[in-house]
Amino acid sequence: METQPHSDATQREGGTIYHLRNVVLDRKSEGVSFRLNVPSLQIRQGEQIAVIGESGCGKSTLLDILAFIAKPSDIDSFRFRPNLADSPTDIGALWDKKQLNALGDMRKQHIGYVMQTGGLLPYLTVRDNINLSRNVLKMKKDDTVDTLARELGIARHLDKLPGTLSTGERQRVAIARGLAHQPSIVIADEPTASVDPFAAEKIMALFMELAEDRNITVIVASHAWRHIKRLGLRRLAHHTSRSEDGRTTETVVNG
Amino acid sequence: MKLFKTLRLATKDYLHEWQVSICFVLALAAVLGPMLVLFGLKFGIIGGMIDELIEDPTNREIRPVSSARFDDNWINQMRARKDVEFILPRTRSIAATVQLSSDKADRFVNVEMIPTASGDPLLQKTSAPETINQIVLSPTAARKLNIELGDQIQGSVTRRYLGEAERVELSLTVVGIADADAFTRDGAFVNLELMEAIENYRDGIAVTQFKWSGSEAPSERTYPSFRLFSRSIYDVAGLQKALNAVGVEVRTKSSDIELVMKMDRNLTMVYWAIAIIGLFGFSLSLGASLWANVDRKRKELSVLRLVGFRTGDIVWFPMTQAIYTAVLGWGLAIGLYQAVAITINTMMADQTEGQSVCVLLPEHFAAAGVVTVLAAIISAALSGARAARIAPSDGLREI
Repeated sequence: METQPHSDATQREGGTIYHLRNVVLDRKSEGVSFRLNVPSLQIRQGEQIAVIGESGCGKSTLLDILAFIAKPSDIDSFRFRPNLADSPTDIGALWDKKQLNALGDMRKQHIGYVMQTGGLLPYLTVRDNINLSRNVLKMKKDDTVDTLARELGIARHLDKLPGTLSTGERQRVAIARGLAHQPSIVIADEPTASVDPFAAEKIMALFMELAEDRNITVIVASHAWRHIKRLGLRRLAHHTSRSEDGRTTETVVNG
Repeated sequence: MKLFKTLRLATKDYLHEWQVSICFVLALAAVLGPMLVLFGLKFGIIGGMIDELIEDPTNREIRPVSSARFDDNWINQMRARKDVEFILPRTRSIAATVQLSSDKADRFVNVEMIPTASGDPLLQKTSAPETINQIVLSPTAARKLNIELGDQIQGSVTRRYLGEAERVELSLTVVGIADADAFTRDGAFVNLELMEAIENYRDGIAVTQFKWSGSEAPSERTYPSFRLFSRSIYDVAGLQKALNAVGVEVRTKSSDIELVMKMDRNLTMVYWAIAIIGLFGFSLSLGASLWANVDRKRKELSVLRLVGFRTGDIVWFPMTQAIYTAVLGWGLAIGLYQAVAITINTMMADQTEGQSVCVLLPEHFAAAGVVTVLAAIISAALSGARAARIAPSDGLREI
C-alpha cells in the first residue's frame, strides 16, 4: 500500500484495473512490420470494452498484452490492479524480470479467457471443462458451475463431452468456463465468430448480462460492431495506418 | 498436486482417444513381442545346451594323455585349487584290473578298477565305497554277475612272484551300481587304498592289511595318472592351460564347451543387434508419434497453459501417455510371447524330451519393461520439451 496517498493519482486510478502508458509491441515477419502503439489506456472495474476491427488490425495482439501472454517491446508504465484493496502490480517489471510464472499465476487468478472456437478439452465433460480453472485454483466445490450452466441454458449437457454439442452450445460452455473461477476480468476474442449472427447476438447479450451481474470487467474483440453497439459496450478508439509501400502497419489505441 | 492434475488430464485424454492409444500400444507390442520370442529362443536353446553340458560331469573331466609321475604332494596342491572339484590319483592301468565272481553267476568277469572317493562326480546318484572292502559296479558288470545292492562278491588277483604264479582272494560288498553314463565298460569303482594294495601285490610288495607277502614298500609312492574334474565347465579351459604349462598333456571336452559358449556369444551379439535396431525403431516411432501428437494437441495444451498450468506441468502430459503406451505395450508383448512360447514348446516337446525351447525368466520380462519405459520416457521427454514451449496464445486463434 502506498503510505502517502497522492490525492490526484488515487482519484485517477480509483477503480482502474488496467493502466497502460506508452506500451508498444513491434512484430516483424517476412519483411512486413507491424506495430501496436498504446499511448494511454485505462480500463475501470466493471467496464465492458469492445475492440472492434478487421483481422490484422492488432486487436488480438492488444488482448494478448492485456492477458500477459504477449510481451510488449517497450513499456513506460503497465499497471494491473484486479483488487482495489491491493496496490497495483507492475506488469512491466515482471516482464523485465522474465517472471513468466508470476505472470501466469496472475492470469489464472484474475483473468478468464473465452476463445474464438471454444477451446474446450474434448476429453473432459462439459462440467469438468467449466471447472478447469476452478480446479487449477483449488477452489471449493459449490453451485457456481450449476448456476452458470443453468443461466447459459446448458445444464442438461453438463455430463456430456463437448464433441456432442453444437457450436453455439460449445461457445456457451466456453463462456461458463471463462466466468467460473470468478475472475476480475474476462477477455473474449471473437467469442461468437463461429456462431450464426442471430445466436451470436443472443449469446453475447447473455455473456454481458452474466458479467454485469458479477461485476466482472469484460474486454471483447470483434469485427462486427453492429450487434455489440446495442449492448452498450465502450468502443476502444483505434486508428490503423499503413505506409505507402504497405510494409509497415501501425495501430494506435487510446482509451 | 498440479502434477496429479496433469496426470489425470493426460489419462482422460489417453482414454478419450482410445483408438489412437490402441494403435500406439499395438505398434509397441509388434516390435517388442517378436524380440521377446527371439530372446526366449536364444535363451532356451543355448540354456538347454549349457544345461546339458553342466549336467554331464564327463564334460568337466580332464584326463592326462600319457603317464607321468605324480606324488601326493602334487595331487594335494591340485586339490587345493578353487577350480578343481575332485582329484584322485590312479594306479597303473595294467595293474588296475580284478577278476570278479559271484555265487549268483557261474562266470568270472574281469573289470577295470577306477579309484573313487566321496564326492566323485561320476557317482552322484550312488554312494561311493567308504572302506577298502566296498565296491561300486558299472551296470554291465553288475548285469553279468547278476548282482544286487548289498551282495557279497569275490575278487581275485593274480601275480607272478619269484617265478611262481600266485593268486589272492578278496571278499567285497557291492554298495552301489553306477549310472550307465558313468562307465560304459565292465568296471568297478573302488577305494584308492584297494587299488594301491592290488598294485603293490602285483609289484611283489607286501600288503600287511591283507597279509599278502612280498618285499618292503618304497618310501614314496608316485602315480602315473589321475582322475580330475573341474568345478564347472567354464573352468575346463583354464585348468587345461595350467596343466599344459607344467608339461602335463591332457584331453578335455573344452572344444565342445567352447563351441557352445561361442554360439552363445554369437547369438547374443545377433540378438542385441536386432534388439537395438528394434528398440531404436520403436523409440523413433513412438517419439515421432508423440511429437506429432503435441502438434495435434497444440490448441488443447495452450488452453492448459492459459488456465495456469506451468511449463513443468505440461511436460508430464506426453510423458504420462508415453508411459501408458510403454506399460500396456509391454504387457501385450508378454501376452504375445507367452502364446508363441507355449505353441513352440508344445510343438517341439517330442523332439526335446520335454525340455522347453523358448524360455524367459521373470527378470527378463522386468528388464524388457524397464528398457521399454526408459525408451518411452526419453522419446517423450523430447516432445514434452516441445509441448512445454507452447505459448498460451499459440493455439488460441486457429480455426
